[in-house]
Amino acid sequence: METSFAITGKDYIIVAADTTAARSIVKMKTDDDKIKVVSPHLLMSYSGEPGDTIQFSEFVERNLRLFHIRNNYSLRPSAAASWIRRSLAQSLRSRKPYSVNLMLSGYDVTTDTPHLFWIDYLGTMTEVPFGAHGYGSYFALSLLDRYHNPEATLEEGIETLKRCIDEVAKRLIVSPGKYIVKVVDKDGTRVIEI
Amino acid sequence: MASADGVFSPSGKLVQIEHALAAVSQGTTSLGIKASNGIVIATEKKSPSILVDDSMLEKVAIVCPNIGIVYSGMGPDFRVLLTRARKSAQAYWKRYGEYPPTRVLTQEIATVMQQATQSGGVRPYGVSLLVAGWDIHRGPTLYQVDPSGSYWAWKASAIGKNMVNAKTFLEKRYNDDISLEDAIHTALLTLKEGFEGQMTEKTIELGVITVPTPAEIEEGRTGAATGRPKPTFRKLTEEEVRDYLAL
Amino acid sequence: MSIMEYNGGSVIAMVGKDCVAIASDLRLGNQALGISSNFQKIFPVTDRIYLGLPGLATDVTTLREVFRFRVNMYTIKEEREIEPETFAHLVSSTLYERRFGPYFIEPVMAGLSKVATGGFKPFIAATDLIGCLNFAKDFVVAGTASSKLYGAAEGLWEPDLEPEQLFETISQTMLNAVDRDAYSGWGVVVHVIEKDKITTRTLKGRMD
Repeated sequence: METSFAITGKDYIIVAADTTAARSIVKMKTDDDKIKVVSPHLLMSYSGEPGDTIQFSEFVERNLRLFHIRNNYSLRPSAAASWIRRSLAQSLRSRKPYSVNLMLSGYDVTTDTPHLFWIDYLGTMTEVPFGAHGYGSYFALSLLDRYHNPEATLEEGIETLKRCIDEVAKRLIVSPGKYIVKVVDKDGTRVIEI
Repeated sequence: MASADGVFSPSGKLVQIEHALAAVSQGTTSLGIKASNGIVIATEKKSPSILVDDSMLEKVAIVCPNIGIVYSGMGPDFRVLLTRARKSAQAYWKRYGEYPPTRVLTQEIATVMQQATQSGGVRPYGVSLLVAGWDIHRGPTLYQVDPSGSYWAWKASAIGKNMVNAKTFLEKRYNDDISLEDAIHTALLTLKEGFEGQMTEKTIELGVITVPTPAEIEEGRTGAATGRPKPTFRKLTEEEVRDYLAL
Repeated sequence: MSIMEYNGGSVIAMVGKDCVAIASDLRLGNQALGISSNFQKIFPVTDRIYLGLPGLATDVTTLREVFRFRVNMYTIKEEREIEPETFAHLVSSTLYERRFGPYFIEPVMAGLSKVATGGFKPFIAATDLIGCLNFAKDFVVAGTASSKLYGAAEGLWEPDLEPEQLFETISQTMLNAVDRDAYSGWGVVVHVIEKDKITTRTLKGRMD
């Protein structure tokens, strides 16, 4: 089932999301990228109702791009998170709310700090040192309580992420097979192989 | 018409507003005086014929328990503004559980009047207002609002016919520690200047703000007996006006 | 499953001698799963008013933004800071605006109000999710641990507590109540408001 993790380190955030696109009991796709680069130093991992995820993530992506074009700078992670949260909170009390959970991982270039925001489809938002969505969260969060180190290097962070992935693979009956992993730091965003 | 409403004349004036002010200066005189322990607002009431039942004419009006207003100019325009002011005061009460401070209500009325100078298809209000009120924040305050929507706080002011003379008179008579009783007498004396006909309880209207004592304020806050604050603005009855005129 | 208990969290406010205190837990959960141990539910409104918003977490953030907007507009229009009594009515009418599709929040507020003779008077209040005001003289509680908070506060609170004693009382009340509630806990934050000083302390409880 859909699972995503994000872990902050000293000066980076690692984000991982599974790559399955399922419909009912069938895997339709095994290389689906559910982590969008929404601005130069901002990653958004999302999961939820298939149509909504695409619609909403593109809506966010285009609006953040529009902001950049109009103002010649990008929203900081906290400002972008507030905007996204508000969109979801307004949608929640509409006729057909978006059913999208997400995590926003950004590197704030003005203060040189990484920020991770955990947001759900209700518009619940909180800044966390590490977060997870989906069934994997039940295993990963307790594991990260034990192993997360906010001062860890990127290599150490990747090791911790692998522990999460392995734990989910070991204990979750419907565990996903493959993950895409991305990193955001002062140099922007990039995909890494694990 | 030389220019449409809300359009500047080449000299930079809005003629419609000037015409509205002309309408005001044709209206009967009204005045207000702030005293150390209250405010008085007063006006001359003129009925067009002796056949009119003048007990129905009302020029000094209560907006809410702590604010009263009086006008000079066009009666019907005043009624519209009064209704708006009362509605605004109730809306404020609904949101904050208390009546608006004088300044906030005055601003609200001024906004309505300003909008009439800029909106299409309407003319400015043909009235000037004197707003007298008391609130815990600023105490007793007296404001004047003009058809343009501009407003000022006064220690004493006059509007309508004879306003220039009345203001000169007030300037001579006014001092900062005048009592409410003295202010009422000064108000009547000022009206007397240039009054046409007989000054009686039928041709004069008075309203007063009385500053409450700290004990009354505390009682008003908790709403002690009635659950309502004691009004700080009230209109004087015909009997009271007659007694003041007799002195 | 009740929507009021979906995220968990509790708030309490208490009156002392010339001071008031307000405290909340720091947990944010998804039912039994804990998500965050640093989710603030209490926000400053003015220098002398604090507002606690226990309930559905999305509405905590939304209402905080709504009240910040409305209080800012009030401050600009009236050229003064809002008084606790007036703010309580603003909270009540804001919630009642959504009478038939409410915010799932039961606000608690604490502050010091100016008295006509000078000086300040302690003020606490709470409302239900549609804005029914409750002005209490001793303490008010809300949130998933409210029943436990009532018990603890009933036993510990007494009149005319000095700021330091009030801090101890509200802290012990909160700490012990949230230990009996699965949906509250993960640390506590306490604010004590005095006329010229506000003291904020973050406490660790049983972090499990």
